[in-house]
Amino acid sequence: MINFILRRIVQTLIVIVILSYVCFGLMNLMPGDPVELMISSNPKITANDVIRLRSFYGLDQPLYKKYLSWAGDIIQGDLGYSRTYRIPVGDMMGPALAYTLILSILSLGFSLLVAIPLGILCALKPNSKVDYLVNLFSFAGISVPSFWLGIVLIIIFAVNLNILPAGGYQTTGMQYESWLDEIFDKAKYLILPVLSLSIQSIGRFSRFTRSAMLEAMRNDFIRTAKAKGLSAQVVIWKHGFRNALMPLITIIALSFSSIFSGALITEQLFAYPGVGRLLYSSIIGNDFNMAMISFMISVTMVLLMNLIADLLYGVVDPRVSYK
Amino acid sequence: MQTSTHSTPPVNHTLSKNQIAELEKVQSLTQIIFAQFKEHKAAVIGAYTILFFILVALSAPLIGKILGVNSENQNVFHRYKAPFSTISAGIDTRETAVRNYIQENPHEAILVQTELLKEEFVTSAHAEDALYDWARYEKRKALAAIRYLNVNENIKSDLRQIAKKFETFHVFGTDELGRDVLMRLIYGTRISMGVGILVALSAALIGLLIGAIAGYYGGFIDSALMRITDALLSLPTIPVLIVVCAIDLQKIPFVNSILSTGSESILKLVFILCIFSWMPVSRLVRASILSLREREFILASKTLGATDFTIITRHMFPNVIAPLLVSVTLGVGESILFEAALSFLGLGIQPPTPSWGNMLFNAQELIYQAPLLAILPGLLILFVTISFNYVGDGLQDAIDPKTIKR
Repeated sequence: MINFILRRIVQTLIVIVILSYVCFGLMNLMPGDPVELMISSNPKITANDVIRLRSFYGLDQPLYKKYLSWAGDIIQGDLGYSRTYRIPVGDMMGPALAYTLILSILSLGFSLLVAIPLGILCALKPNSKVDYLVNLFSFAGISVPSFWLGIVLIIIFAVNLNILPAGGYQTTGMQYESWLDEIFDKAKYLILPVLSLSIQSIGRFSRFTRSAMLEAMRNDFIRTAKAKGLSAQVVIWKHGFRNALMPLITIIALSFSSIFSGALITEQLFAYPGVGRLLYSSIIGNDFNMAMISFMISVTMVLLMNLIADLLYGVVDPRVSYK
Repeated sequence: MQTSTHSTPPVNHTLSKNQIAELEKVQSLTQIIFAQFKEHKAAVIGAYTILFFILVALSAPLIGKILGVNSENQNVFHRYKAPFSTISAGIDTRETAVRNYIQENPHEAILVQTELLKEEFVTSAHAEDALYDWARYEKRKALAAIRYLNVNENIKSDLRQIAKKFETFHVFGTDELGRDVLMRLIYGTRISMGVGILVALSAALIGLLIGAIAGYYGGFIDSALMRITDALLSLPTIPVLIVVCAIDLQKIPFVNSILSTGSESILKLVFILCIFSWMPVSRLVRASILSLREREFILASKTLGATDFTIITRHMFPNVIAPLLVSVTLGVGESILFEAALSFLGLGIQPPTPSWGNMLFNAQELIYQAPLLAILPGLLILFVTISFNYVGDGLQDAIDPKTIKR
C-alpha cells in the first residue's frame, strides 16, 4: 500500500517536472519576449543594447539552461514578479487558487447533489418518462457549450430579470458588517458561474450514475436483500448505491480535471478572479512568470486529483489491491 | 386412435414461401446494426439534423445567391438590425451596380437614360446622370419605374436585377459590422463542422495507428506509448489548449512552411486539437486489439505467413471499425465544443472567417444591444453537438451485441 502510494507520488512528480519543461519551451515559442517588450516601450534602444540586455537577462542562453535557472528559483520559493500587476506572483496566486477551488468544489458538489439522485431515479425506473426526460437533459448538458450557457444565464438573470450580478466576485466597495453578510454577498456572485460550470458534469454524472446503478441493481445480492424483507431505502442505498459508487468515483475524480479546466472559461466569462482567468490574461498579456506558475498550478491540481482518485479506490472497494 | 388425434383442429404450421424466404434471409452485420440504429429515435433525428446542417454548409454560396446577401458585406450604418429587417443599400453599392451596367451595356444604358428622362421619372440635368438618379430611389419605386419604360423585356429584367440589390433582407438581422447574421452562421457551419469532422477523423487515424502498434506489439512499445497516452489524458484540457494555441507557430521553422497558407488559423487549430484528442481512440483500439491478438483467425493468418502489416490492416482493423465509428461520432461533438471554446477566447479561428465560436467572441459585450447575436451561434452549437452525441449513442447501442435483438 505505502509502496504503491509512494510510487504514484513519484510518478506524478516526474510528470509535473517534464510538463514544466515542455511548458517552459512552449512559453518561449509565444510571440514576444521581455526584451522585445522593452524595445516597444523605448524607441531609443539600439541593436547593441538589445544584445547586451539579452545576455544580461540570460535570454540568449539555450532553453535547458534558462529552464534550470528558473526551476532553481522556484525551488528556493521565488516565483518571480508579475509584469502586468507588478507584484510577486506568489501574492497573486494564493487568493486566485482559493477562488478557483471554491468555484470548482462548489460546482462539483452541486453537480453531484443534482446528478446522483437523478441518475438513481432513472435507474430505478428505466425507460419511464422521467428516464427519457433526464436522458434528454443529460445529453443537452453534455452538448451545451458552457460559456454560451453562461452568456444566456447572464442575459436572463442579470440583464432581463436583474436579480443576480453579471460578473465579479463581490460587490465593489462593500463594507461587510459581519461574516454572514460577506458570505451572502459572495454567494450571490457564485450562483451563475457555478450553474454554468456544473451543467456539463451534471449531464455526465447522471448518465453515469444511471448505468452504474442499473448494473449494481442487477446483482443477485440485491434480490437476496429484497427477499430478506429489507426496506427499499436500505436496498437502494446500502446495497445498490454502494456498489455503484466504485465506477462513479473514477468518473468524479476524472471530472474534477474537466471542471477545473472548464473553470478557466467560466472565470473569464464572469470576470471571476481565479487561476484560470490569471492564466488566460497572463498568456494574452505576455506575463511569462505568471503564465508559467498559473499553468503549473492548474496542472498540479489536476494531477493531484487523479492521484487522490487512485487512492480512494481502495477506501471504497476493499477488494482493490495496490500492486 | 389416429382419427382421434386428427380430430383436434390442426395448427397451421405451414408458412407461405415468402415468409420462409423472409426468415431464412441472411442479414449482414451492417443491416442488423442499421435496423437497430433506426429504433433509436433520438439518434435518427440527430442523423437527419446533421445531414441538414451538412447540406446547408455545402450549399452556402447558393443560399447566399438566393437571398441576395453575402457573409462579408459590411455596412456600418446598419449595425444590430433586428431579425426580419430590410435594409436599403448604400449609395455607393447602388452606383457601382449602375456603373457596371453602363460599362457592360453602353447602348442599352443610353436607351434607358433617354426613356427615364422622357417619362419624367428623373429630372437630371445631364442624360448620363439619369440612371444614377434612378438608383437613388427605393427598391419599390425603382421597380415601378421600370414597368413604364418603353424598352424591351431583356433590358427590363437586367434593370430589375440591379434594383434587387437596392434592398437586402436579413432574416436574423445584422451583426456589429452590419454583416448578415444568417449568412455568417451558414458559413460558420462550414468552418465549425468542418473543423469538428476533420479533427475527429484525423484523431481517429492517429489513435488507430498508435493503439494498433501498442496493442499488437506489446512489451516496451506498449508501455511507452500507453504512458504517453495516460500523461496526455491526465492534462487539464482547456489550459493546455490555451497555452498551445497562444504559441507563435512562426517560431517553429518546420511547421511554418506547412502553415503559410491563408487559412492558417484553421489548420493550426485542427492540428492542435488533433494532438490532444487521439488518446481515447488509441486506448479503445489497443484494448480491442489486445483481445483480438489471442483469437484463432489471427493465429491462422500468422501461420499462413501473413506480415504484421497485413494482419493489422486486413484482419484487425475491420473488427475495430464499429467502436471506432462511435468514438469518431462522439469526437466530432467534442471537437466542435473545443473549437467554439477556443474561438470564443479569441485563440481559435481568427476573424473575419466566421465560425460559431468566434461569432460569440464579443457577443458578451453585445448582450444589451443584440442578445440574439449571443444566442444564435450557441444554439447551433448545441443542436449539432447534441445530434452527434445522440448518433454516437445510437451507434453504440446498435453495435453492442448485448442489445442486438434478432
